[in-house]
Amino acid sequence: MTQTLALLHAAYRELNARKLFWVTMALSLLIVAVFAALGINENGITILWWEFDLEFVNTRFFPREVFYKVLFTTFGIGFWLTWLASILALISTSSIVPDMVSGGSIDILLSKPIGRTRLFLTRYFTGLIFVTVQVSVFTVASFLLIGIRGGAWEPWFLIAIPLVVVFFSYLYGVCALVGLLTRSTIVSLLVTMLFWLFIFGVHSGEEITQSGSIAYELDLKQVQADLAEAVEYGDPIEVTEPLQEVVDSVQASYDTWAMTHAWFYGAKCILPKTSETIGVLDRTLRKNAGLEVGLPEETEGRRRGPRSGNMFGTTSRVPQREIDRIQSERKDSRSLTWIIGTSLLFEAVLLGICCWLFSRRDF
Amino acid sequence: MGSDSLAIDLSHVSKIYRGGIHALRDIDIQVHPGEIYGLLGPNGAGKSTLVKIMMTVVRPTHATGSLLGEPLGRKATLARVGYLPEHHRFPLWLTGRQAIEFSGAMSGVRRVLRRRRTSELLEKMRMTEWEKVRIGSYSKGMQQRIGLAAALVNDPRLVLLDEPTDGVDPVGRREIRDILVEMREEGRSVLVNSHILSELEMVCDRVGILVKGSVAMQGTMDELTASSQRYEIIIKGGPPEWIGEHGLAAKAVDGGLTKLVMPTTDPESIQPVLDRLRASSCTIHALQPIRESLEDLFLRAVTDPETGNALMPGAKGDALIVPPTSPRSDLEDGEGGS
Repeated sequence: MTQTLALLHAAYRELNARKLFWVTMALSLLIVAVFAALGINENGITILWWEFDLEFVNTRFFPREVFYKVLFTTFGIGFWLTWLASILALISTSSIVPDMVSGGSIDILLSKPIGRTRLFLTRYFTGLIFVTVQVSVFTVASFLLIGIRGGAWEPWFLIAIPLVVVFFSYLYGVCALVGLLTRSTIVSLLVTMLFWLFIFGVHSGEEITQSGSIAYELDLKQVQADLAEAVEYGDPIEVTEPLQEVVDSVQASYDTWAMTHAWFYGAKCILPKTSETIGVLDRTLRKNAGLEVGLPEETEGRRRGPRSGNMFGTTSRVPQREIDRIQSERKDSRSLTWIIGTSLLFEAVLLGICCWLFSRRDF
Repeated sequence: MGSDSLAIDLSHVSKIYRGGIHALRDIDIQVHPGEIYGLLGPNGAGKSTLVKIMMTVVRPTHATGSLLGEPLGRKATLARVGYLPEHHRFPLWLTGRQAIEFSGAMSGVRRVLRRRRTSELLEKMRMTEWEKVRIGSYSKGMQQRIGLAAALVNDPRLVLLDEPTDGVDPVGRREIRDILVEMREEGRSVLVNSHILSELEMVCDRVGILVKGSVAMQGTMDELTASSQRYEIIIKGGPPEWIGEHGLAAKAVDGGLTKLVMPTTDPESIQPVLDRLRASSCTIHALQPIRESLEDLFLRAVTDPETGNALMPGAKGDALIVPPTSPRSDLEDGEGGS
């Protein structure tokens, strides 16, 4: 315990010396302060003592508590915690492993009566502890803000703490492994960013191909129904044959989309699911905190595609809204075990490799 | 002395790094309790690797033996061992006191005790004034003092110091030497790696010289220099004819003088020679007992006996074969001799 506390204390001093920890903390509190400065009334929104009349953003459309909840989930979590704060946290913690294994420093640590695996894991988790502190401060401050300003005391918001930390830990695992291999903070940070970009790309690819396969699945059903109807009504071959060709063509397109989606899905199964992990937070808040995150359905359809068509240009008019609804259902049906379990498994494999390397390497 | 009581008792220590580099070849080394053992060797001889193996920083390819009576590689033993690595680097944002306390905590020393020990060591290292200043602003010598204090904070029975005087000024070196002697008086065993041969000679009870990954020589200074100890008698004029009867070798030196060399450490055995020289009316210019210095030993160990050149740094290549000392090696081109 003495050694664990010493490592924790040393990590605190390190982060304290680098200042970035406190900068991130101050920025988190500043963002909460900005939220607190925002208000909503029946005419529009207020910023401190200034009032801005808005037709659709007022308490007639958004109850005050929903306004703050949306602010927290959309900007607080979706923008600040899962993007900017995570990048700052990566920058401030990425040096922990490379500094540990640098020459002169590692000799001191390894010559102490502490096992290598325990030493590595303790250093790794100290990084996570400080991210936990940052996320906790922001989330608790937001929770108090929503309670005080919005009048809604919603404990489910606190689930953001473990979820954001778990999300960060996927990236931190990569950062630790690269830091151990290269002993370079810059390289580990860059590779982690690239990896993040890569999994974001895989996630986006999976979403797009899933959306496309749903569009062609619905299209296929429609054209197959048209063909069946024509056959049933005894339409001449001049009518059924083109329909059959359309069915074959749509089937081929569907097969291509479905296969591509299967590849993306397969890749996603073994990779950490950062977006989905944050998506679990949305799901949980929608279900338990009475919050529908996202824009209203009418505008969403207009934003993402034609009301009576879709972005994939299928032969029949499959509405984008219907595709989005089905896709949302399918995403919601993905279990926590698949989303977080497989992601943690990926992280555990990385940590296992780290511990193995760290235990066997000569310094 | 039984091997159970040895502070360090290592046998057959070998280390082959990736690429087939033999850093250590079948090293045997023993350090007794309460002695200062000097480990010498040219750069790349494997000194630091050997120390790192003892401290579990490097894994040996093969090794048997013990540290403080416990099997080599046992982590718990390290709580009783102090270590100052070469080029050690404490985080620059720590103060001197924090660095020493961190080292103590990592060795499992309880807080109250480590605070007390830290204060004592800061005092001993004359660093109390600087205890609250960050290491980043310390000189190399000051960092070395803090490193030494950090190595001692757990009150170790065995202390391994890798180049402790590196970057330290002459006054600081003398202080470190005094600390080594103090440690010996306290009953601690000390193994020191150093290039400063004259300093080691002053404090070490025994030395080992590592060359190309092998122990070229090991023992007390007397043991190592026994075969080279001799008396040199400088006389005026040429060598007498009878010198062969006494096992003397002769060599002409400048100024019309001759150096007679007698391979003995016994002053009694040179008396008949002196009597005979007097009887022969020889003028005795000088008489001196000669013992190799540590530097002489070291240079002999690291010099290729065939080429006379220094052995290349590093441990790659053939294992080292050190020639036996010849007290007459400096007389090869001399006159006479038996």
